[in-house]
Amino acid sequence: MPSPVLSARGISVRYGGVQALSGVDIEVRPGQIVGLIGPNGAGKTTFIDAVTGFARCTGSVEVAGRDIGRMRPHARVQAGLGRTWQAVELFDALTVAENLAVAARRPALWTTIRELLTNAEATRPPVGHALEALGIEGLAEAMPGELSEGQRKLVGMARAFVGDPKVVLLDEPAAGLDTDESAELGKHLRRLGDQGTPMLLIDHDINLVFATCDHVVVLEFGQVIATGRPADVRRDPRVISAYLGSAASDDIKVGEES
Amino acid sequence: METLVLFALLGLGSGAVIAGIALGVVLSWRGSGTINLAAGATVMVAGYVFWALRTGFFGFALQTVPAIVLTLLFMALYAVVVELVAVRPLRSASPLAKLVASLGVLLLTQALVLLIFGSAPRNSPSVLTGDVVSVFGVAVPEAQFILAGIVVALAGGLAALYRFTRFGLATRAASESERSAALAGLSPNVISLGNSVLGHVATGFVGVLAASIVGLSATTLPLLIIPALAAALFARFTSFGVACAVSLLIGISESLLYQASNESWFPTQNGSAIPGVQQVVEFLLIVIALWWRGSSLPLRGDLVERSLPMVPDQDRLAARVAPVAIACAVALVVLPSDFRQAVATGLVATVLCLSFVVIMGYVGQLSVVQLALAGVAGFVLSHLEAAYGIGFPLAPILAIAAATVLGVLIGASALRVRGVTLVVVTLAAAIAIEQFIFANPDWGGGQTGAPVESPKLFGLNLGADASFRGLDGSLPSPVFGLLALVVTVVLYLFVANLRRGDLGRRMLAVRSNERAAAAAGVNVRAVKIQGFAIASFLASIAGVMYAYDFRTVSANSYGTMSALSLVASVYVLGVTLVQGGVLAGFGAAGAVIPLILQTWVLPESRVSIYMQLIIGAGLLIQLRFCPDGLLVASATKRERRARASRAGKALTAVGAKPQGGV
Ligand SMILES: Nc1ncnc2c1ncn2[C@@H]1O[C@H](COP(=O)(O)OP(=O)(O)OP(=O)(O)O)[C@@H](O)[C@H]1O
Ligand SMILES: [Mg+2]
Repeated sequence: MPSPVLSARGISVRYGGVQALSGVDIEVRPGQIVGLIGPNGAGKTTFIDAVTGFARCTGSVEVAGRDIGRMRPHARVQAGLGRTWQAVELFDALTVAENLAVAARRPALWTTIRELLTNAEATRPPVGHALEALGIEGLAEAMPGELSEGQRKLVGMARAFVGDPKVVLLDEPAAGLDTDESAELGKHLRRLGDQGTPMLLIDHDINLVFATCDHVVVLEFGQVIATGRPADVRRDPRVISAYLGSAASDDIKVGEES
Repeated sequence: METLVLFALLGLGSGAVIAGIALGVVLSWRGSGTINLAAGATVMVAGYVFWALRTGFFGFALQTVPAIVLTLLFMALYAVVVELVAVRPLRSASPLAKLVASLGVLLLTQALVLLIFGSAPRNSPSVLTGDVVSVFGVAVPEAQFILAGIVVALAGGLAALYRFTRFGLATRAASESERSAALAGLSPNVISLGNSVLGHVATGFVGVLAASIVGLSATTLPLLIIPALAAALFARFTSFGVACAVSLLIGISESLLYQASNESWFPTQNGSAIPGVQQVVEFLLIVIALWWRGSSLPLRGDLVERSLPMVPDQDRLAARVAPVAIACAVALVVLPSDFRQAVATGLVATVLCLSFVVIMGYVGQLSVVQLALAGVAGFVLSHLEAAYGIGFPLAPILAIAAATVLGVLIGASALRVRGVTLVVVTLAAAIAIEQFIFANPDWGGGQTGAPVESPKLFGLNLGADASFRGLDGSLPSPVFGLLALVVTVVLYLFVANLRRGDLGRRMLAVRSNERAAAAAGVNVRAVKIQGFAIASFLASIAGVMYAYDFRTVSANSYGTMSALSLVASVYVLGVTLVQGGVLAGFGAAGAVIPLILQTWVLPESRVSIYMQLIIGAGLLIQLRFCPDGLLVASATKRERRARASRAGKALTAVGAKPQGGV
């Protein structure tokens, strides 16, 4: 098996009195889309926050074999992590294309200075490929405030992919989308995955997760309670009781985010 | 030893005033998430109203108790007005807008007090007993103890109120999230109003009692906000007890420092103690508080619905700049001498205002130290000439470099904190620079100002006293004005270009959302420092230009209240737009708009107060009705229309696709 692009071992996070995560191990290997599911408050977002440096944690985080556990968030991103936010969090003063441009390039100080003294507009980095990959090339000139929730989600994802990250962590990209849109999103994700960007996918739409992912991890109360191929996880009795409830069936959608 | 005790105890009085203001700051923060820059002005308002009621300023004189009661009623009313005008309309606005609103209140009330009561300090009739008690054999006025006891009791009472009443619980819930306050059954509006009234009455009460001890002055009292902010920072804007204790300690150390300045070991200059040490100490206190408490400062869970002002594209620059530049050039030659001077000054002030556009409009931080940095650059320039004989162009380059470095150091001290706390550091820094550097008999210019030689290059005089005269044959020479025009246009284009480039985009990303910016790979601290460096650089250039413009540098031109007015006027006009900087520049002290006013409309001695009044009121009106700023609103409308016509078809096409139409 190829060595993992993202390897998080023994991740524990405490928020005041709450043990949000205890000793979680998750690996993402090249070409893989790994699903991370669990009930509300299970610690899924906290896991992404810990890996990307927004939550203080113990444990180790490696990207492509490089220890990034002590870096500040922006440095982790530069080392190859990309993420989206549950609440999307676009830059509202910038157009969609400019939102992506911020993430697309990390110029050296000298480039920055030179750019200040010449026509800055001319050196804008290309972002079209990321918009195309998610089918939203028509939105380039729109302001975030003018977009629908679904469009905002797609822009947020495009922003995470535009800098050619080694691995992308997606926090509930399908929340707020209807079934058809979810399926469409799944196709985009699958294609991005096949093109070589491994992903960690958090979502409450378990049909999307089971259909898209190669590997699924289930969290409850900050602990991994099951892990394996989608087909196996889906049948795991602990998962059924903890997550799906006793009335588990194939087409329910649990814990929709408000 | 005895004198030490005496002076320590004598500090209790001013410590109590600081504590009263700090309690007001904490209440504002807890009630509405505002860093209330006007809390110091509350003491001033209460003090003057009480003085007026007691001394018969309004035609009738009251006894102490009725005067106090009436004053406190007035303060409650004042709180309601401030709440309705400057707080409630901005409940869902960005923290920067809330902060700027309190700046508007500060400017407006100070201007009103100056207009009504004049600027001379008053002797407030004392309220507390004039008796003395003996402590360790030292006679100390009882009033000091009573005052300190009263603020301690106030702090204790407020803490109990917050702990044990439904109102207090709801306020605490509200500062975590406004939704949970609504669950507690009190509307955020009620909570905010309640805290505001509490704060104003409590601060006002302390102000009335202390006015006779600390002195009643409309120019000094509002600035007591700085030590109060230091105390509030130590209290994380939350704990009444800590805020009160730290304030009293600041008061005591102030008094001890005053005592020490009479000792022989205290550093002196020309035979007198060096000034401004106390302000430097306050600045350092704030820096320490930010380092120590910075990363744990509470972030309020307010629902921010309205974001910061939009940032219009800066397109067709040349077409916009050329007509204005040509008009300025003509004006610099043909107008009468005082107007020529005003145009040149307006150009210089524009450069200064551009620095606010960068730091406030692009980075989203309120910094008020730029005018002081300009002053530093001017004084360095003057000293390089006077003491070392260094002239143009090396002296201005060194002066700009020195002031820029100072600015970056000040900005760096606020890096650890998120949000809009930079204002606290820069305010303290501005005062410290004013008192420590400008008021210094050697470094500052004293009463007459420090002279500055005109810039000369290859024997050619480029200054305001060059031999080429205006049409009326008098000074100032248009040469310097034209030079300033060139510099201003270049810097204007530079700041506009910044918006369109990579660094500008990263600044705006940081401004909208620091977390998301970091997740996009942006080094938030580096961007802030770069923003601060650029702003300081622009301010320093303006400082050098001011020096050449007036051919002298005097401390009066760089006062902190002028800086606050300037910040406010840039914000009113459009802080995200270079054009806003230009208009604000021409409205600055000594520039064209005040000159027009004083020539035809207003008495000369009061122009600056009226300008402050207009700016403060304008700020509150603008925040309410046109939150993006006057120029930005129209520019955004234009731009939206243009973009809609460009991208309209594409937008609808995508909207029709399944994944878009949510
Ligand atoms: N900043 C924080 N401070 C304190 N506690 C937090 C913080 N963020 C999360 N928590 C707590 O940590 C636990 C895990 O939260 P987390 O947001 O990671 O859950 P989640 O699995 O993403 O849930 P959801 O499906 O609702 O998004 C919860 O109990 C939550 O209340
Ligand atoms: Mg979550």
